[in-house]
Amino acid sequence: MRGIFLRAFLIVAVATAVGFGVNAVSPRRIPWLRPPPLTVPASEQIPMEEARRLWESGDAIFLDARPVSAFGDGHVAGALSLPLEDFEGRFTAVRPRLAPEQPLVLYCDGEHCDDSLRLLQRLRSMGYTNARVLVNGWTLWRRAGLPTSKGDAR
Amino acid sequence: MDTLASRGTAHQQGGRQVKRYGSVLLRLLLGGVFVVAGALKVLDPSAFATDVARYGLVPNALVNLVALALPWIEVLAGALLLAGCWRQPAALVIAVLNVIFLVAISVALARGLEVCGCFGAAVARKASAWTLVEDAVLLAAALWLCRTKGNTDETNRSVN
Repeated sequence: MRGIFLRAFLIVAVATAVGFGVNAVSPRRIPWLRPPPLTVPASEQIPMEEARRLWESGDAIFLDARPVSAFGDGHVAGALSLPLEDFEGRFTAVRPRLAPEQPLVLYCDGEHCDDSLRLLQRLRSMGYTNARVLVNGWTLWRRAGLPTSKGDAR
Repeated sequence: MDTLASRGTAHQQGGRQVKRYGSVLLRLLLGGVFVVAGALKVLDPSAFATDVARYGLVPNALVNLVALALPWIEVLAGALLLAGCWRQPAALVIAVLNVIFLVAISVALARGLEVCGCFGAAVARKASAWTLVEDAVLLAAALWLCRTKGNTDETNRSVN
Protein backbone atom coordinates (compact mmCIF):
# COMPACT_ATOMS: atom_id res chain seq x y z
CA MET A 1 0.00 0.00 0.00
CA ARG A 2 2.85 2.34 0.86
CA GLY A 3 4.33 1.63 -2.54
CA ILE A 4 1.12 2.77 -4.23
CA PHE A 5 1.16 6.11 -2.41
CA LEU A 6 4.84 6.57 -3.14
CA ARG A 7 4.31 5.93 -6.85
CA ALA A 8 1.25 8.18 -6.90
CA PHE A 9 3.35 10.94 -5.37
CA LEU A 10 6.03 10.31 -7.97
CA ILE A 11 3.47 10.67 -10.77
CA VAL A 12 2.38 14.04 -9.36
CA ALA A 13 5.98 15.20 -8.88
CA VAL A 14 7.14 14.19 -12.37
CA ALA A 15 4.04 15.67 -14.05
CA THR A 16 4.48 18.93 -12.12
CA ALA A 17 8.13 19.11 -13.14
CA VAL A 18 7.18 18.48 -16.79
CA GLY A 19 4.47 21.15 -16.62
CA PHE A 20 6.85 23.74 -15.20
CA GLY A 21 9.62 22.71 -17.61
CA VAL A 22 7.33 23.01 -20.65
CA ASN A 23 6.15 26.43 -19.48
CA ALA A 24 9.75 27.62 -19.19
CA VAL A 25 10.39 27.03 -22.89
CA SER A 26 6.90 27.28 -24.40
CA PRO A 27 5.98 30.18 -26.70
CA ARG A 28 2.60 30.16 -24.89
CA ARG A 29 4.19 30.48 -21.46
CA ILE A 30 2.29 32.17 -18.68
CA PRO A 31 3.76 34.11 -15.73
CA TRP A 32 4.63 31.92 -12.76
CA LEU A 33 2.90 33.92 -10.06
CA ARG A 34 0.73 36.70 -11.53
CA PRO A 35 -2.81 35.38 -11.98
CA PRO A 36 -4.65 36.14 -15.23
CA PRO A 37 -7.14 38.99 -15.29
CA LEU A 38 -10.65 37.63 -15.08
CA THR A 39 -13.20 38.53 -17.66
CA VAL A 40 -16.72 38.91 -16.39
CA PRO A 41 -19.18 36.57 -18.17
CA ALA A 42 -21.87 38.48 -20.07
CA SER A 43 -24.61 37.04 -17.86
CA GLU A 44 -22.92 38.51 -14.76
CA GLN A 45 -22.65 42.00 -16.23
CA ILE A 46 -25.10 44.85 -15.97
CA PRO A 47 -25.21 47.34 -18.86
CA MET A 48 -24.48 50.97 -18.03
CA GLU A 49 -28.01 52.14 -18.91
CA GLU A 50 -29.65 49.59 -16.63
CA ALA A 51 -27.24 50.47 -13.82
CA ARG A 52 -28.12 54.14 -14.24
CA ARG A 53 -31.87 53.37 -14.09
CA LEU A 54 -31.38 51.27 -10.98
CA TRP A 55 -29.40 54.06 -9.34
CA GLU A 56 -32.11 56.61 -10.19
CA SER A 57 -34.85 54.36 -8.82
CA GLY A 58 -32.90 53.86 -5.62
CA ASP A 59 -33.70 50.14 -5.68
CA ALA A 60 -30.12 48.97 -5.95
CA ILE A 61 -27.11 49.33 -3.73
CA PHE A 62 -23.83 50.11 -5.43
CA LEU A 63 -20.77 48.44 -3.93
CA ASP A 64 -17.32 49.82 -4.68
CA ALA A 65 -14.73 47.03 -4.78
CA ARG A 66 -11.74 49.37 -5.13
CA PRO A 67 -9.34 50.12 -2.26
CA VAL A 68 -10.62 52.52 0.43
CA SER A 69 -8.20 55.27 -0.72
CA ALA A 70 -9.64 55.18 -4.27
CA PHE A 71 -13.15 55.26 -2.81
CA GLY A 72 -12.21 58.35 -0.78
CA ASP A 73 -10.95 60.12 -3.92
CA GLY A 74 -14.32 59.64 -5.59
CA HIS A 75 -17.11 57.11 -6.00
CA VAL A 76 -20.61 56.62 -7.34
CA ALA A 77 -22.89 58.77 -5.20
CA GLY A 78 -24.45 56.68 -2.47
CA ALA A 79 -22.15 53.70 -3.09
CA LEU A 80 -20.80 51.71 -0.17
CA SER A 81 -17.14 50.79 0.06
CA LEU A 82 -16.50 47.06 0.12
CA PRO A 83 -12.90 46.62 -1.01
CA LEU A 84 -11.82 43.10 -1.69
CA GLU A 85 -8.57 43.67 0.23
CA ASP A 86 -10.49 44.40 3.46
CA PHE A 87 -13.66 42.42 2.86
CA GLU A 88 -13.98 41.00 6.35
CA GLY A 89 -13.38 44.34 8.05
CA ARG A 90 -15.81 46.33 5.90
CA PHE A 91 -18.55 43.74 5.46
CA THR A 92 -19.61 44.10 9.10
CA ALA A 93 -20.51 47.72 8.41
CA VAL A 94 -22.14 47.02 5.04
CA ARG A 95 -24.12 43.92 5.97
CA PRO A 96 -27.04 45.65 7.78
CA ARG A 97 -27.76 47.60 4.57
CA LEU A 98 -28.07 44.48 2.39
CA ALA A 99 -30.95 42.06 2.01
CA PRO A 100 -30.34 38.70 0.28
CA GLU A 101 -32.59 39.63 -2.67
CA GLN A 102 -31.34 43.22 -2.83
CA PRO A 103 -30.19 44.23 -6.33
CA LEU A 104 -26.47 44.93 -6.04
CA VAL A 105 -24.27 46.66 -8.59
CA LEU A 106 -20.59 45.99 -8.06
CA TYR A 107 -17.89 47.99 -9.72
CA CYS A 108 -14.18 48.66 -9.75
CA ASP A 109 -12.20 50.47 -12.41
CA GLY A 110 -10.63 49.46 -15.71
CA GLU A 111 -11.58 46.90 -18.36
CA HIS A 112 -9.37 44.29 -16.73
CA CYS A 113 -10.12 45.00 -13.08
CA ASP A 114 -11.37 41.76 -11.60
CA ASP A 115 -11.94 42.89 -7.99
CA SER A 116 -15.65 43.34 -8.67
CA LEU A 117 -15.90 39.82 -10.12
CA ARG A 118 -14.11 38.32 -7.13
CA LEU A 119 -16.41 40.34 -4.86
CA LEU A 120 -19.38 38.96 -6.80
CA GLN A 121 -18.14 35.42 -6.18
CA ARG A 122 -17.82 36.06 -2.45
CA LEU A 123 -21.23 37.66 -2.15
CA ARG A 124 -22.87 34.90 -4.20
CA SER A 125 -21.37 32.29 -1.89
CA MET A 126 -22.95 34.20 1.01
CA GLY A 127 -26.41 34.06 -0.56
CA TYR A 128 -26.58 37.47 -2.28
CA THR A 129 -27.85 36.17 -5.60
CA ASN A 130 -29.06 39.41 -7.16
CA ALA A 131 -25.64 40.95 -7.76
CA ARG A 132 -24.08 41.96 -11.08
CA VAL A 133 -20.92 43.70 -12.21
CA LEU A 134 -20.70 47.04 -13.98
CA VAL A 135 -17.48 46.43 -15.91
CA ASN A 136 -15.08 49.40 -15.89
CA GLY A 137 -17.77 50.98 -13.70
CA TRP A 138 -16.02 53.97 -12.17
CA THR A 139 -14.63 55.22 -15.49
CA LEU A 140 -17.94 54.74 -17.31
CA TRP A 141 -19.90 56.45 -14.51
CA ARG A 142 -17.64 59.52 -14.57
CA ARG A 143 -17.62 59.68 -18.37
CA ALA A 144 -21.42 59.65 -18.35
CA GLY A 145 -21.35 62.64 -16.01
CA LEU A 146 -23.48 60.86 -13.42
CA PRO A 147 -23.49 61.90 -9.74
CA THR A 148 -20.38 61.12 -7.73
CA SER A 149 -19.25 61.83 -4.18
CA LYS A 150 -15.96 62.14 -2.37
CA GLY A 151 -14.98 61.19 1.14
CA ASP A 152 -14.12 58.22 3.24
CA ALA A 153 -16.18 55.10 3.62
CA ARG A 154 -18.80 55.21 6.31
CA MET B 1 -19.91 -34.24 -8.87
CA ASP B 2 -17.37 -33.79 -11.58
CA THR B 3 -19.95 -31.94 -13.65
CA LEU B 4 -20.82 -29.69 -10.73
CA ALA B 5 -17.16 -29.03 -10.04
CA SER B 6 -16.46 -28.25 -13.66
CA ARG B 7 -19.54 -26.01 -13.78
CA GLY B 8 -18.24 -24.17 -10.72
CA THR B 9 -14.84 -23.77 -12.32
CA ALA B 10 -16.41 -22.53 -15.55
CA HIS B 11 -18.49 -20.05 -13.55
CA GLN B 12 -15.40 -18.81 -11.74
CA GLN B 13 -13.53 -18.49 -15.02
CA GLY B 14 -16.48 -16.59 -16.53
CA GLY B 15 -16.44 -14.20 -13.57
CA ARG B 16 -12.73 -13.72 -13.97
CA GLN B 17 -13.18 -13.03 -17.70
CA VAL B 18 -15.82 -10.35 -16.98
CA LYS B 19 -13.55 -8.79 -14.36
CA ARG B 20 -10.60 -8.97 -16.70
CA TYR B 21 -12.34 -7.34 -19.68
CA GLY B 22 -14.18 -4.88 -17.41
CA SER B 23 -10.90 -3.86 -15.87
CA VAL B 24 -9.24 -3.35 -19.27
CA LEU B 25 -12.22 -1.41 -20.63
CA LEU B 26 -12.44 0.82 -17.54
CA ARG B 27 -8.70 1.44 -17.60
CA LEU B 28 -8.76 2.45 -21.26
CA LEU B 29 -11.85 4.65 -20.89
CA LEU B 30 -10.64 6.43 -17.76
CA GLY B 31 -7.10 6.81 -19.14
CA GLY B 32 -8.43 8.13 -22.45
CA VAL B 33 -10.72 10.69 -20.80
CA PHE B 34 -7.92 12.04 -18.65
CA VAL B 35 -5.32 12.17 -21.43
CA VAL B 36 -7.74 14.13 -23.64
CA ALA B 37 -8.90 16.42 -20.79
CA GLY B 38 -5.30 17.16 -19.77
CA ALA B 39 -4.02 17.64 -23.33
CA LEU B 40 -6.76 20.16 -24.14
CA LYS B 41 -5.76 22.19 -21.09
CA VAL B 42 -2.05 21.94 -21.91
CA LEU B 43 -2.77 23.50 -25.33
CA ASP B 44 -4.02 26.74 -23.79
CA PRO B 45 -2.50 27.27 -20.32
CA SER B 46 -3.61 30.88 -20.15
CA ALA B 47 -7.29 29.99 -20.67
CA PHE B 48 -7.08 27.20 -18.11
CA ALA B 49 -5.43 29.55 -15.59
CA THR B 50 -8.41 31.87 -16.06
CA ASP B 51 -10.76 28.97 -15.33
CA VAL B 52 -8.81 28.07 -12.17
CA ALA B 53 -8.92 31.72 -11.05
CA ARG B 54 -12.65 31.91 -11.74
CA TYR B 55 -13.34 29.12 -9.26
CA GLY B 56 -11.85 31.39 -6.60
CA LEU B 57 -10.61 28.44 -4.53
CA VAL B 58 -6.87 28.82 -5.03
CA PRO B 59 -4.84 31.76 -3.63
CA ASN B 60 -3.94 34.23 -6.39
CA ALA B 61 -0.23 33.47 -6.16
CA LEU B 62 -0.83 29.76 -6.79
CA VAL B 63 -3.36 30.00 -9.64
CA ASN B 64 -0.84 29.78 -12.48
CA LEU B 65 1.25 27.09 -10.80
CA VAL B 66 -1.83 24.90 -10.34
CA ALA B 67 -2.88 25.61 -13.94
CA LEU B 68 0.56 24.49 -15.16
CA ALA B 69 0.84 21.31 -13.09
CA LEU B 70 -2.69 19.92 -13.05
CA PRO B 71 -3.12 19.20 -16.80
CA TRP B 72 0.18 17.31 -16.92
CA ILE B 73 -0.83 15.25 -13.88
CA GLU B 74 -3.99 14.32 -15.78
CA VAL B 75 -2.03 13.46 -18.92
CA LEU B 76 0.61 11.36 -17.14
CA ALA B 77 -1.81 9.47 -14.90
CA GLY B 78 -4.13 8.89 -17.89
CA ALA B 79 -1.27 7.71 -20.10
CA LEU B 80 -0.08 5.27 -17.43
CA LEU B 81 -3.60 3.84 -17.19
CA LEU B 82 -3.77 3.49 -20.98
CA ALA B 83 -0.42 1.72 -20.97
CA GLY B 84 -1.50 -0.54 -18.10
CA CYS B 85 1.57 0.50 -16.17
CA TRP B 86 1.48 1.55 -12.49
CA ARG B 87 -2.26 1.05 -12.69
CA GLN B 88 -3.12 1.41 -9.01
CA PRO B 89 -1.01 4.53 -8.32
CA ALA B 90 -2.31 6.17 -11.53
CA ALA B 91 -5.90 5.31 -10.56
CA LEU B 92 -5.27 6.71 -7.08
CA VAL B 93 -4.05 10.01 -8.55
CA ILE B 94 -7.12 10.18 -10.80
CA ALA B 95 -9.41 9.38 -7.87
CA VAL B 96 -7.91 12.24 -5.84
CA LEU B 97 -8.24 14.59 -8.82
CA ASN B 98 -11.90 13.62 -9.14
CA VAL B 99 -12.54 14.37 -5.47
CA ILE B 100 -10.96 17.81 -5.98
CA PHE B 101 -13.10 18.38 -9.10
CA LEU B 102 -16.25 17.33 -7.27
CA VAL B 103 -15.58 19.80 -4.46
CA ALA B 104 -14.64 22.62 -6.86
CA ILE B 105 -17.69 22.12 -9.10
CA SER B 106 -20.03 21.84 -6.10
CA VAL B 107 -18.71 25.15 -4.75
CA ALA B 108 -19.01 26.76 -8.20
CA LEU B 109 -22.60 25.57 -8.55
CA ALA B 110 -23.44 26.80 -5.06
CA ARG B 111 -22.00 30.21 -5.94
CA GLY B 112 -23.88 30.30 -9.25
CA LEU B 113 -20.65 30.57 -11.24
CA GLU B 114 -20.63 29.81 -14.95
CA VAL B 115 -17.41 27.87 -15.09
CA CYS B 116 -16.25 24.33 -15.77
CA GLY B 117 -12.88 24.23 -17.53
CA CYS B 118 -13.20 20.46 -17.42
CA PHE B 119 -11.85 20.00 -20.94
CA GLY B 120 -9.96 23.29 -21.26
CA ALA B 121 -11.14 26.32 -23.18
CA ALA B 122 -11.56 24.35 -26.44
CA VAL B 123 -14.77 22.77 -25.13
CA ALA B 124 -17.16 25.51 -24.06
CA ARG B 125 -19.05 23.88 -21.23
CA LYS B 126 -20.72 25.04 -18.07
CA ALA B 127 -20.71 23.02 -14.89
CA SER B 128 -24.05 21.51 -13.97
CA ALA B 129 -25.45 18.80 -11.74
CA TRP B 130 -24.78 16.44 -14.65
CA THR B 131 -21.05 17.30 -14.44
CA LEU B 132 -21.14 16.17 -10.81
CA VAL B 133 -22.70 12.85 -11.86
CA GLU B 134 -20.00 12.36 -14.51
CA ASP B 135 -17.29 13.09 -11.97
CA ALA B 136 -18.84 10.72 -9.46
CA VAL B 137 -18.88 7.94 -12.09
CA LEU B 138 -15.23 8.61 -12.97
CA LEU B 139 -14.37 8.60 -9.27
CA ALA B 140 -16.11 5.25 -8.79
CA ALA B 141 -14.22 3.81 -11.78
CA ALA B 142 -10.89 5.11 -10.48
CA LEU B 143 -11.54 3.71 -7.00
CA TRP B 144 -12.47 0.33 -8.48
CA LEU B 145 -9.25 0.22 -10.48
CA CYS B 146 -7.37 1.37 -7.42
CA ARG B 147 -8.87 -1.34 -5.21
CA THR B 148 -8.61 -4.33 -7.51
CA LYS B 149 -5.35 -6.16 -7.02
CA GLY B 150 -2.73 -4.77 -9.39
CA ASN B 151 -2.73 -5.93 -12.99
CA THR B 152 -5.77 -8.20 -12.86
CA ASP B 153 -5.93 -8.29 -16.63
CA GLU B 154 -2.25 -9.09 -17.03
CA THR B 155 -2.31 -11.74 -14.28
CA ASN B 156 -5.28 -13.45 -15.84
CA ARG B 157 -3.65 -13.36 -19.22
CA SER B 158 -0.80 -15.46 -17.87
CA VAL B 159 -3.20 -17.77 -16.00
CA ASN B 160 -5.22 -18.39 -19.12
